[in-house]
Amino acid sequence: MDSAAIATEMLSRKFSDVMAVEDVNLQVAAGQFFGFLGPNGAGKSTTIKMLTGLLAPTSGKIKILGLDLATHLTEVKRQIGVVPESMALLGRLTGPEYLNFVGRMYGLDRETAAKRSAELLDFMQIADQHRKLITDYSHGMQKKLAMAAAVIHGPKVLFLDEPFEGVDAIAAGTLKSMLQRMISRGATIFLTTHVLEIVERLCSHVAIIHHGRLVAQGSLEELRAGVESKVAAANGDSIQANSSSNAKLTLEQIFLLTVGGSSSTERELSWLS
Amino acid sequence: MAGLKTAELKTAELKDSELGISASPLSPLTAIVVVRWQIMANSLRSTCGRVDLFARITMWVAFTAAGIGGAYGLGQQAGRFISQGRAEFISILLWPIFVFWQLFPLLTTAFSENLESSSLLRFPISYRTYFFVRVVSGSLDAANALGVLWLLGIAIGITSVNKELLPWSSVALLAFATTNILLARVLFVWLEHWLARRRTRELMAILFFLLIISAQLVGPLMTGALSARMSADSKPHTTPISRGLGAAQRLLPPRLAAATIAESARKNPRARTEVFLLLLSYGAIFLLLLHLRLRAQYRGEYLGEASSPSDVAKTRMRYAGWDVPGVSAATAAVLEKEFRYLSRSGPALLTFVTPVFMLLVFRSSGRGFFLSDSPQYAFPFAAAYSLLLLANLIYNVFGADGAGVVLFFTSPASFRQVVAAKNIGHAALLTADFAMAGIAAALLFSIPPMSIVAGTLAWILFAVPINLALGNVISILSPKKLDWGTFGRQRASRIAILTSFAVQIFTVGIGAGVWLTSGRMGSVWFATLIFLALAMVSVAGYKFVLNRIDSLAQKHEEALIFELAKS
Repeated sequence: MDSAAIATEMLSRKFSDVMAVEDVNLQVAAGQFFGFLGPNGAGKSTTIKMLTGLLAPTSGKIKILGLDLATHLTEVKRQIGVVPESMALLGRLTGPEYLNFVGRMYGLDRETAAKRSAELLDFMQIADQHRKLITDYSHGMQKKLAMAAAVIHGPKVLFLDEPFEGVDAIAAGTLKSMLQRMISRGATIFLTTHVLEIVERLCSHVAIIHHGRLVAQGSLEELRAGVESKVAAANGDSIQANSSSNAKLTLEQIFLLTVGGSSSTERELSWLS
Repeated sequence: MAGLKTAELKTAELKDSELGISASPLSPLTAIVVVRWQIMANSLRSTCGRVDLFARITMWVAFTAAGIGGAYGLGQQAGRFISQGRAEFISILLWPIFVFWQLFPLLTTAFSENLESSSLLRFPISYRTYFFVRVVSGSLDAANALGVLWLLGIAIGITSVNKELLPWSSVALLAFATTNILLARVLFVWLEHWLARRRTRELMAILFFLLIISAQLVGPLMTGALSARMSADSKPHTTPISRGLGAAQRLLPPRLAAATIAESARKNPRARTEVFLLLLSYGAIFLLLLHLRLRAQYRGEYLGEASSPSDVAKTRMRYAGWDVPGVSAATAAVLEKEFRYLSRSGPALLTFVTPVFMLLVFRSSGRGFFLSDSPQYAFPFAAAYSLLLLANLIYNVFGADGAGVVLFFTSPASFRQVVAAKNIGHAALLTADFAMAGIAAALLFSIPPMSIVAGTLAWILFAVPINLALGNVISILSPKKLDWGTFGRQRASRIAILTSFAVQIFTVGIGAGVWLTSGRMGSVWFATLIFLALAMVSVAGYKFVLNRIDSLAQKHEEALIFELAKS
């Protein structure tokens, strides 16, 4: 557990009578691009909130970069970057003002914060909007700004909750290249998204959470092998068909087979023409 | 492709009834009422929601009492004017109602609930329905309820003395009420439009300033006119400006409504019809202005600030934040952020300058108010009023941050640092407001004696830490998301409102008690000593709260983020 960038031990969170996350044991090695998947309401956001110190666990332990989150909260926060689901923007500031604000909240001096803000705005291609209030930004621009704010202090671990939602292909390309550069420099990225193609392309390791429980964890190949053997053992005609055509299971197939998702394409709504 | 076209045509041919769509404008209104009810009912699941409901009921009881009490008093006075044969004097009663009706929702945005147009325009509703829903849903607020109650009181007062006046007084007051409701809606939608752009926002701040100053002239004008006409022996001492303004106010809705009743009492149908038609024309103009704005909204206008081509050229502009000596980078950052938010908020700037306006009002209202007899107390009065007005800010310190509050939890800066920085910012704002109030009090009334200045400053040292300490706690326990960029549409926490009122009553009550006691003891300086002793206790209380703010925030982190980050 100590060598991992992110590690949890029997992590649980209960809301009233509902167990949102139950006994989750995550292991994310340093330098990994880790995809955290699950259907809606599976417990992804609850887990990421606990990992970033935004939500206290009911039980269990969290270690980030070897530090216990419960006892080293501030130290951990200094070393992580977060793009929460809500983006945490301050709508009535301009982009440069906001990035400076975030930089200084992370303890950067004025000069460094100003220099990095300018570089980030330029890199994200939103420098031309420096007079505009964030509330007037498009959704994609806000996502880019939230991402810029998450990395301004040079975090070692980056948590991203749905960073590509509502982002166009050009902006997504910019974000992806930045994330890949971070990985090449040794950072660890923990990503949750519903866009499985992105996870398949970017992530080396994946975990799937379902009904609050971790149902799969490992590299993509490990997950693929696990699912294939499990389904084959349980009588999987479709898998046999896939195997016969030598086609690899896509992440979408792995995901659906793991969480037991069914297609609703055969069902009809009588009032829709 | 052909199949697709057929499908499109088939869908287009379907009638609303076949699709299960109701064409009634009442349908969306009913849906809004139901959804508000459901939101309220669902909020009762939490303790905070139940306390909020209790606070809401308490406030409505207070409003009802003010409404019924005011209606009774106004009705009595209106009846007296009728029995004295001075029906036109009813305008003296209608003017304050008019001013209250228009200014109360703007100055106390906490009590007004407005509908977000974008949330309504998502749905396939006709313009007629949109207009109807915007007018009706926006009219369900305290100012309208009180205004209508007071007018009802006046109508009852008039008819209790002269039953023949029932039809025309009812019609005139109904037209007056409608004019007020429409004008309030017009002010909201147009202000919202102008404040959406930075340049017009700045211009609006100046215009609003001038508007309020001109509104203050109504008081002396009415007082002058009243005293001149009440005493037959004395001649009115009016200036050309006040005579001009007096003539102008005769053409404005309060006077026109009163004139309709007066001409009816004099049995002068022609003059009555003329003034009544003039009153109706105001309603028509306001209706048209409202239509213009709502029509533009309905058609989907863009209120943002698109960057000009010149902005695009100015890329790579480096922006360095504030350098505040003696404080940490995080504290300086929060201070700067608070300043920028305040300086970009029309309502906040208006709140900031209101105490000076109030001194102007009391200065111009002449006799009858205690400041005219005791001008040395203008400074303490303005200081207490400043604190009361800024309570909305102090008791909801994270309201304007919205989803940005998450950043305070994800950053390594302690919550104590964040709260302390916000408190420093608000204390600086209060200091500036107190200084401005002090200068205005000296210029408008008299330079207060040193003993009063020292006593007031000591009272401030006692009252401000209490407000900041409780404000910090309430801000965490009962936050409400606010948009400082718009007038109205703000739903401050009722718990915050009630707590702030209770604290103001407590601090002002103690202040008044100490002033009176020290006055009776023969030395006002004695008040300073007592306030300083109390200030030591309140500063200790503030420190006590601030030292525990991290654990309190951690305990209520989820609820705080949930409330402020929700869209």
